Amino acid sequence: MSNPDLSKMKQDCESQRECMEMLQMIIDGEATSEQKEHFLTNHLEQCMPCYKSYHLEVTIRQLLKTKCSKEAPQELVDSIKAKVIQNLAQ
Amino acid sequence: MESEEIQRKPYADREKENIFNGEFMPHINSMYNFAYRLTLDRDDSKDLVQDTYMKAYRFIDSFQQGTNAKAWLFRILKNSFINDYRKKSKEPSKVDYQEVESFYNSEEVDRQITPDLRVEALKDMIGDEISNALNSLDVDFRTVIILCDLEGFKYDEMAKILDIPIGTVRSRLHRARNLLKEKLSEYAKQMGYKTA
Repeated sequence: MSNPDLSKMKQDCESQRECMEMLQMIIDGEATSEQKEHFLTNHLEQCMPCYKSYHLEVTIRQLLKTKCSKEAPQELVDSIKAKVIQNLAQ
Repeated sequence: MESEEIQRKPYADREKENIFNGEFMPHINSMYNFAYRLTLDRDDSKDLVQDTYMKAYRFIDSFQQGTNAKAWLFRILKNSFINDYRKKSKEPSKVDYQEVESFYNSEEVDRQITPDLRVEALKDMIGDEISNALNSLDVDFRTVIILCDLEGFKYDEMAKILDIPIGTVRSRLHRARNLLKEKLSEYAKQMGYKTA
């Protein structure tokens, strides 16, 4: 995304709910390239609430990824492998 | 899985071992994390993951090599959770999900919970805030966020894992994210950020 001129953006979005849904589809990689292109160039760079929402959504996802991933304990991995080997041996 | 059983020649032991180690085990961290976020208990999540892998091994002949092993495993784990763990889970009694769903479907709520949460406030959440916020959501809302935002499943894969229509995936995600943001703005307020 280019750097839009923040002072020229509109401060209210008349279709916030629809925009939010489109925005999430874009971030989730579910929007078509036309939808994406259309939304990013025709709306996002002119609409302050949506522009902010976009950055917020991206930041939340990054936070989730860094703060909410736990690794499996090694003992669990070992125990599963051992059980399967046992099964195979039968 | 039973319902998706395909007619094919059973795998030889060697193939089973290859599939298990090459296609199933690489997802162990994601599986554990999913189990932990569902049960919110370390011991339960270990049991749940172990049960899931044993089931996956037992039903390995219904797994088609080259298809999405991760989605297949997640679906088994989700079903095991519902059948074996949800009943005895330590969570407080469940709100009726339909009720929650229709409540959050209303426009009124939607307007009210488009929180003016700021990126700067989020960046200051360096502790367990986001994890706690996620864990505080109802399990169905928590689940869609994990599948989509953490594990990167597509909507159609989520629909299959959860046995719900794709439209429900989309609306549940939308609501889950609003609830998460609502929770995060509470934290932001507590941290002294003005969100109004």
